[in-house]
Amino acid sequence: MTTLLATLLSHYRRHPAQLAMLLLGLWVASALWSGVQAINASAKESYARAEALFTTGLDRLERLDGDALTRDDFLALRRQGLPVSPLLEGELTAPDGTRLTLIGIDPLTLPGDSAFATAGSTQELTGFLTPPWQTRLAPDTLPSLGLDTDSAPGASPRLAAGRLPPLSLAPSLPPQTLVMDIAAATVLLDAGERITRLVTAPGALAAAPPGLALTRATTLVSPGQLTQSFHLNLTALALLALIVGLFIVQAALGLALEQRLAMLRTLRAIGVSGRALVAGLALELVLLGSIGALAGIAGGVWLARALLPDVAATLGSLYGAGVGVELRLPWHYWVGGLAVTLGGLLLAGAGVLWRAARLSVLDLGRAQAWRSGYQRQLGRMSLAGAAVAALGLALWAWLSRQPAGEGLAAGFVLMAALLLVGALWLPPLLAAALAGLGRLARRRPLAQWALADLELQLPRLSLALMALLIALSASLGVNSMVGGFRLTFLDWLDQRLVADLYLDPPAERFEAVHTWLGERPEVAELMVTRHGESTLLAVDAAGASRPLARPVSLFGLTPGERLTPTWPLLETHTGREEAWRALGEGAAFINEQLAVAEDIAPGDRLTLTTPDGQATLAVAAIYPDYGNPRGEVLMAASELGRRFSAPPDSIGIALAPGADAGALSTALAGEFALGRDALRDQGAVKHIATGIFERTFTITRALNALTLAVAALALLASLLAQAGERRRRLAPLWALGVPRGRLLGVQLAQLGGAALAVGLVAVPLGTAITWGLVAVINVAAFGWRLPLHLFPGEIALTLATAVAVALLAALLPALRLWRTPPRTLLAEEAG
Amino acid sequence: MMPRPIQHAARSPWRALLLGTLLSALAALAGCGEDTPESRGAGFAGLGEGTAGFVQAGPETTLGFPGDHGAHPDYRIEWWYLTANLEDAHGVPMGLQWTLFRQALLPSETTPPGERPESTPWAADQLWMAHMAVSRGAQHGVAERFARSHSAAPSQQTDGQAGAVASPFRAWLDDWVLASEVTEPDADTFERLTLTAFEGEGDGEGKARLGYRLTLTAEGPLVLHGRDGFSQKAADGQGSHYYSQPFYRVEGEVTLAGETHRVSGRGWLDREWSSQLLSPDQAGWDWFSLHLDDGHRLMAFRLRGGGQDGGDYRSGSWIAADGTTTALDSQELTMTPLATSPVAGREVPTRWRLEVPGENLDLIVEAPHAERWMDTTVPYWEGEVVARDHDGGERLGVGYLEMTGY
Repeated sequence: MTTLLATLLSHYRRHPAQLAMLLLGLWVASALWSGVQAINASAKESYARAEALFTTGLDRLERLDGDALTRDDFLALRRQGLPVSPLLEGELTAPDGTRLTLIGIDPLTLPGDSAFATAGSTQELTGFLTPPWQTRLAPDTLPSLGLDTDSAPGASPRLAAGRLPPLSLAPSLPPQTLVMDIAAATVLLDAGERITRLVTAPGALAAAPPGLALTRATTLVSPGQLTQSFHLNLTALALLALIVGLFIVQAALGLALEQRLAMLRTLRAIGVSGRALVAGLALELVLLGSIGALAGIAGGVWLARALLPDVAATLGSLYGAGVGVELRLPWHYWVGGLAVTLGGLLLAGAGVLWRAARLSVLDLGRAQAWRSGYQRQLGRMSLAGAAVAALGLALWAWLSRQPAGEGLAAGFVLMAALLLVGALWLPPLLAAALAGLGRLARRRPLAQWALADLELQLPRLSLALMALLIALSASLGVNSMVGGFRLTFLDWLDQRLVADLYLDPPAERFEAVHTWLGERPEVAELMVTRHGESTLLAVDAAGASRPLARPVSLFGLTPGERLTPTWPLLETHTGREEAWRALGEGAAFINEQLAVAEDIAPGDRLTLTTPDGQATLAVAAIYPDYGNPRGEVLMAASELGRRFSAPPDSIGIALAPGADAGALSTALAGEFALGRDALRDQGAVKHIATGIFERTFTITRALNALTLAVAALALLASLLAQAGERRRRLAPLWALGVPRGRLLGVQLAQLGGAALAVGLVAVPLGTAITWGLVAVINVAAFGWRLPLHLFPGEIALTLATAVAVALLAALLPALRLWRTPPRTLLAEEAG
Repeated sequence: MMPRPIQHAARSPWRALLLGTLLSALAALAGCGEDTPESRGAGFAGLGEGTAGFVQAGPETTLGFPGDHGAHPDYRIEWWYLTANLEDAHGVPMGLQWTLFRQALLPSETTPPGERPESTPWAADQLWMAHMAVSRGAQHGVAERFARSHSAAPSQQTDGQAGAVASPFRAWLDDWVLASEVTEPDADTFERLTLTAFEGEGDGEGKARLGYRLTLTAEGPLVLHGRDGFSQKAADGQGSHYYSQPFYRVEGEVTLAGETHRVSGRGWLDREWSSQLLSPDQAGWDWFSLHLDDGHRLMAFRLRGGGQDGGDYRSGSWIAADGTTTALDSQELTMTPLATSPVAGREVPTRWRLEVPGENLDLIVEAPHAERWMDTTVPYWEGEVVARDHDGGERLGVGYLEMTGY
């Protein structure tokens, strides 16, 4: 077997480019796949730690008036027998600028099991509770403090706020989180008697104590749930990259087999059994696959490291989910990466093995044998494409009957089916086009030859062209979706952000600031917002009541002259003006996400939990709410304050015509000494929002570009692999008197034309993908539907990319041809 | 139906740590053999070093009241420990226990001032733990609470989450309060106490509500154990300050599993503090407090190990109805386990023979219900017992038994 394997592998010694192409394909495909999986695994691990943190999963108590709770509140409630525990939360800035969350706890009253406590000893609790206290943190928080795991334990780094208590490592804590006794945290945060909130075991309190708001843990959505669709999107993109990469692999394998047919026949003739031959080829696959997969995983880890900060920033800003920027990979990640790559390779190589197994010893290599075979293959591809198309249609029919927002996975399958149909139909389509063009070009021998030659090349190019088609369509689809989203989003921001200035006053001074602002001549209108949490208990529609238990956020705004004319609404019950009037009188609006998820229409009635019991509200309108992962109920801020005891949040200030924002902000700062960040103008808010948006799609764009690069590589690899053979075929033409420059032109035209054809197919396919993303995937994943935008520039760019990629890929072989003396060409032909 | 302890306080690893801390503390007291729980089987080797820096209990200290009813933060550990044998309106026996434990987190004398916590908000040098248990037939409800305080923060002495002040007497943790009702200036503050403790939310009728509201009226004087209140706990001379009020008449209401019962009966309050830990060879203790129908009271404990020649260390008090107390030493007292019951996965002796030859006393003491395991952070067995004459078998009284280290 060793000899056999050595013989089989000797082929690659003669054709190192083939080996390189094979490994490159494997490497790239598996690197993209495992890179994204690494990002997902790291993020999931962060979520798991955040969810295990004692602060999640507990009911929370805060003051209704928004003031800070104090130690006396805690003592008073404990003396009433309520099992509350104090929590102090704040932010510290690490020397490198990282923001660390500091949580001070009282372990003596903290309810329930907390993952934070690892096994410990008597000394550890005493150490935690008494000076110099302890700082518990996860090892991946250490870099921001400039420490490593060896130097950290017991170290006491100095921050701007003061010296941290000696560090003690607790890997189960979420990243960028410090936990310590509340006594130590109070000193660091200079909190005095203040605490952030009281927590209690879920359900321990039947109702909120007077003056306090109770937020049930069940109404707090975990980061894992919120970000699920984000990660599914990433996975789908990575899968696409994997498939494109495997196309290269299959092309390379097919070529290697074809060129070794003679060798294989010889081997069979000298007595190697068919089974041994297949085993040898399989072994070769596993060997190459292992090398490729290992390199791929290494590349993937590198890629993930490069992309993770962006992903973490996106998840942080979009969902408030903390994700460590250090990779943390579980063992199953490594095994999974290997398994997927090897599995994909075996799938790609199955055809090769099948053909090798049926190899006939006596079958001599017939140059034209492929022709009839390829015709049959084209027929099979058309049939398979039709089958997949039928499947896709059936799926689409099924999806269109599902309630909106369902079927994210089915949506992805639909997208995959679309791409597959496109890919399978591409070669028959190209063959038909070539045949048709060939008939047209009967009078022009060179063109006819070029077309016939291209037809001859098609079997070997088709896989690379299919990969290119998939990459181009996906790229066009994703870019159009992102571009359309961007337009819609910016538009929506403009409609929603109507105040000139936005102010976040500290809760305890809200009233004073509000009153002061109300008396200023510069101010035309004040728009107060409030925020709260509730649970949607039931929806009454058309006389039927549906019970639910869905946590929703509550948002209160002030419907005034500035806001109501532009604020975007998607659907109303009885018209826009009527809807705003109803809102002022106590009705509610809901966001599109909630409407889609729970199938709520204007005119339905919602039953929501309030601090005192329940409230029923009519739905007057549905509004778009891009970027919000949660269902939201909107009402007038005054109503939200009155019925749901929601604390005030921010004040939007509409300036009187000609008023000076700078003067107002100076006066405000002078009067209240608010922090620099408390007052922001509209431009700044928009800037932040667009920044978040751009970052959200950074990774999408990056993956897209990488996939396209893989497809270009596939094409290049295919061309390089057959460069020698092509040269031989060109030699007679040269001998017939066609100048080399012309020959070169023909070659470039052949490939450029083929690529243009692929690009033209990619346009409708990409548009279909855009539609699928906008109308199916986005609705299911995020709950919002976007208008379908098409960008001619984007389409032109796609076509140009296709041609450029093809020309680039053709250039290198062409240059080599240019530099080859014609005599050599003839010699090659003769040989 | 299986008796299920009503466990309100959730178990957390932190509590387990606490357990360790308190355990050592309790173990110290345990030395006293009186009331403290401790955990099973653990050897307490090495804990002795921790006593350095605390005030040591010794026979030279004279106890004074009401001052000594309050906390002694310079000693390592301390408790206020009430047990009561009650009957409801239908004559069904019930038992209850309420305990407040205090432990100093830092040695008061040897911790340099720079390392002692300033009395900033939340800073603590004292740890508090309270246990409550109510039992009736096979039912046994248990709850526990924890708190912190600072002995140098003036406001916390009367207003913290937990504490114990001598005058007017009040010992509390959250809303669990043992307080004096005595207003006469010359009367001892322990003459009349009220005890309120409820677990379960608010003041309403929670489902699994557990607790009591009781009045305790002393019908006899305070009793000092050992030598004027210094109770030796091992042959090497270590010990604790230990006194009791064993003559309480108890009236009030007890709630178990959401059902409230009107009750009356007898109560026994123990006070003990020390800085001493169990000696390394002491594995646990067994402690009895008996109310005999003829008006006598008997306190007896046995420390397993730590006696002369590695035997048990026994001690007790024979208390007449007028409070006259006779201290009993190892030779004047025998305690023999006769039978065990399986409880919480272990074998616990629930039938005993107690002999005080000098008083012509030979008793069989038995727990009618074995399911009295205190499944708290520091687990132990504590429950009601009935005393009968060894020969005649007639019932002579009731009491409480506590066993640790099983």
